[in-house]
Amino acid sequence: MTAPRRDGCNDWRMTRRRVASQAGRMMPIPADALDGLAEFERQGGLTRKNLLERGAGLVLMAGAASALGPRAILESAAAQQAASPNGAILVSLYLDGGNDFINTFIPITDPQYRQRRKRIAIPADQILPVSGSSEFGWHPSMSGIAGLYDQGKVAVLPAVDYAQPDQSHFNSQGYWQRGVVGPTLDRTGWLGRTLDLIGTRNNPLQGVSVSWGLDPTLIARKAPIGTVYEPSYFGLGIPEVWDGKGFTKLYREAARGSHSRARQAVSQAYNNAFRMVDMLKPLQGDPNKLPPTPVEYPDSYLGKGMRNAARILGAGLGTRVLSLSRGGFDTHDDQPDEHTELLKDVSDSVTAFQADIQARGLADRVVVMIWSEFGRRPDDNDGNGTDHGAGGGLMLVGNRVNGGIRSEFPGLTSLDSDDNLKVTTEFRTVYASLLESWMGVEASKILPKMDSRRLPLIR
Amino acid sequence: MPRTTKADLEAERLLWRAGFGPAPGEAKRLGRLGRRRAVEQLLAPKGRALGGRPARIDGGPLDPVNAYGHDVLWWLDRAARTRHPLAERMTLNWHDHFATSNEKVGDVKLMMRQYWLLRNYGLGSFRALTKRILRDGAMQMFLDLAGSEKGSPNENFARELFELFTLGVNNGYTERDIREAARALTGFTFDYDTKRFGFDPDRHDRGVKRVFGKRGRFTPEDIIDLAINHPKHAPYLCEKLWHYFTPLPVPPRTLKQMVSTYRRSGTEIRPVLRIILTHPSLYADLTSPHQVKPPVVYAAGMLRRTNTRIADESWIHLLDEMGQRPFHPPNVAGWDQDDAWLTPATISARFDAASMLVQKRVKDGSISASQSPQRAIAAARKATGDPQISKRTALAMQRYAVASVKGRTDDWEVKHYFPERQRVLRHVLLAGPDAQVC
Repeated sequence: MTAPRRDGCNDWRMTRRRVASQAGRMMPIPADALDGLAEFERQGGLTRKNLLERGAGLVLMAGAASALGPRAILESAAAQQAASPNGAILVSLYLDGGNDFINTFIPITDPQYRQRRKRIAIPADQILPVSGSSEFGWHPSMSGIAGLYDQGKVAVLPAVDYAQPDQSHFNSQGYWQRGVVGPTLDRTGWLGRTLDLIGTRNNPLQGVSVSWGLDPTLIARKAPIGTVYEPSYFGLGIPEVWDGKGFTKLYREAARGSHSRARQAVSQAYNNAFRMVDMLKPLQGDPNKLPPTPVEYPDSYLGKGMRNAARILGAGLGTRVLSLSRGGFDTHDDQPDEHTELLKDVSDSVTAFQADIQARGLADRVVVMIWSEFGRRPDDNDGNGTDHGAGGGLMLVGNRVNGGIRSEFPGLTSLDSDDNLKVTTEFRTVYASLLESWMGVEASKILPKMDSRRLPLIR
Repeated sequence: MPRTTKADLEAERLLWRAGFGPAPGEAKRLGRLGRRRAVEQLLAPKGRALGGRPARIDGGPLDPVNAYGHDVLWWLDRAARTRHPLAERMTLNWHDHFATSNEKVGDVKLMMRQYWLLRNYGLGSFRALTKRILRDGAMQMFLDLAGSEKGSPNENFARELFELFTLGVNNGYTERDIREAARALTGFTFDYDTKRFGFDPDRHDRGVKRVFGKRGRFTPEDIIDLAINHPKHAPYLCEKLWHYFTPLPVPPRTLKQMVSTYRRSGTEIRPVLRIILTHPSLYADLTSPHQVKPPVVYAAGMLRRTNTRIADESWIHLLDEMGQRPFHPPNVAGWDQDDAWLTPATISARFDAASMLVQKRVKDGSISASQSPQRAIAAARKATGDPQISKRTALAMQRYAVASVKGRTDDWEVKHYFPERQRVLRHVLLAGPDAQVC
């Protein structure tokens, strides 16, 4: 009897493809068919109040970041604002299934590491050094992110989770997505609520789930959120129908008016879809040709997703939050090869993205947050894998990130009662710190019952 | 156009909620029976399970085991052709409840075997159904039951059994209960060479376990019984079943009635469905529907309405993009229902699905300039199963029917734009905002 091969109990997120042949039958819809859009464009998808708030936020950040005098700070803030009126951008990258952070950012000097991981410890000669630290090393697949770390662009936060961690994917994932620990009837995600606060009602691309289905982290109360994995093919057309303006008007009229909640949700989805088609028009065309990216992205679901995220940001559509995910991290068995592949995909995709947005002049505005619902147990199992653990880890990548190790690693000797890593930092503290120092919003308005602890994550 | 009565509307609602929408004339036929008899007919279907002609791709039958995505088409085809709508719909509901994905199982044959399990036993006893699921190969692979052995029990199945299948999240069990139950659930085996599932008593933990405060040398089947006998089980399951049929809250009295019926019948599913499907709540606001059609229901529904058989692999991608690919639920908790189905991306896939049923149906030059707007609308309604539409849509269609051909008098314009009007009118009847809800 052989044990069944477990791809991981959470490895369910599929790679969805839109058949390229469908692109041919999409017909563009004339811009003037979309009533109300011209006015929306004038506003740039942002309210006056938000513009003012962002401006102030940028001055503060510039002040904190440099030794420039106040006049130069004001000028740079104004220039930044003129070049990029939409402010700071947060990209959430979810490693679905529970990433083994212990083998990602490896505690090389911890004597327990090789004890507890007899089967899957990374050989010492393969581990990449962490500049400025003798205690940790990078997984060999992480060369891209290690390089960014050396440039001071990566903050690493080990042992981030929540108190009394629950080892159900379903629960933990929900807590991280909602920014609320414990059961709640509120379905909204913490980034969705952020957009409720800083966004508008008429920009479906202020928050983009770069996926085929909406990421629950982005579920908002009122802010429309776009779900678009491949912007090149986003269109609404009917074959053998030439008058796009005519059917668009018919559809938009049919979508008007108040009915049941379900019917309203349908109308909203249609209205935002029509609006998105128009906004994404500059990105239509063969994604392999347009626009050229300065670096090669991995030819993977995540690689393409990151590339598409950069393209959406490059189009200047007022996007503030993007989310992506990579499945397969539930490495219950045969971990070494799988994990190597997974981390390589993540590291290469993020590194390519970073170079891409740098080339687009956007890198000072973007922070990527890489997270997972939990870590894995320090002891490996007899299937050459690891079971659900606690105290996973988080990484932040970006020009403005305060690079370094930013949370305490508790060590592998003294574990919690379930033989898991002790949690030293609550994930909501990371969220709150990012909300306040990066997104410029008060954390308590988004995260219920939030304490005052914050981390210096942004320079 | 024949007058629509309240009985027709009720039957139409019932067929959408408890099936995949009416085929032409089906609502009228069912409506004549009255609510009670209509529900009885759905609960105890007779005769052939499928009507019409089976799907054909590239001139050949579906090949769900070998051809990419044909498993999805196979499911959709059965839903579109079913003559036992409730039994078929409950199969989809149970697939959501006992969500198992081929992304992990990686064996379509096992997935189809699970389909038949859900299809054949989905209206009987829940206890028996769950015990069959316990022994189901696809489930054993999906939640790591096969290979879980004494000494290193895998907790996956135990956790989801309580959390999703029988009790609900954090509803009357502890982490310790999960760990102990996982011990009792050891011993299942799978042999990769012979592809056989089995049970090896030597790998089963025969020790004493403590689950829900009870002690014993529990077997796997005992754990199912413990969960189903748990006082929190019946309310959880009954409420969950209710919400497959309506997003409205379940009245407390109705829940009590369902729970006692369920228990008294020995966990029979049919009597609970009878209460739900005859309940006034299900027929509330007939002209202002509350439920967003799940993608499989929406897609099968449009095939039924237009009497179309599947002949195109695009349905695989369309269902995927609408967010519901049978045999591939997003996770073990199944699909998020109601307005979670709707995003700008999924609605555009729903829009595209209607295009499949409109294109190449109305040829250029096939409609003369003498066709009045009213006639055009009537023809479009007839071609799409005469669906219920709101006043607003009716008005918008009338305006469009006039404006779309106004001033189109040249020969080439008449040749194209009169058929184009027909295509668009059909399209909005199939995919417009009204068509998304039931």
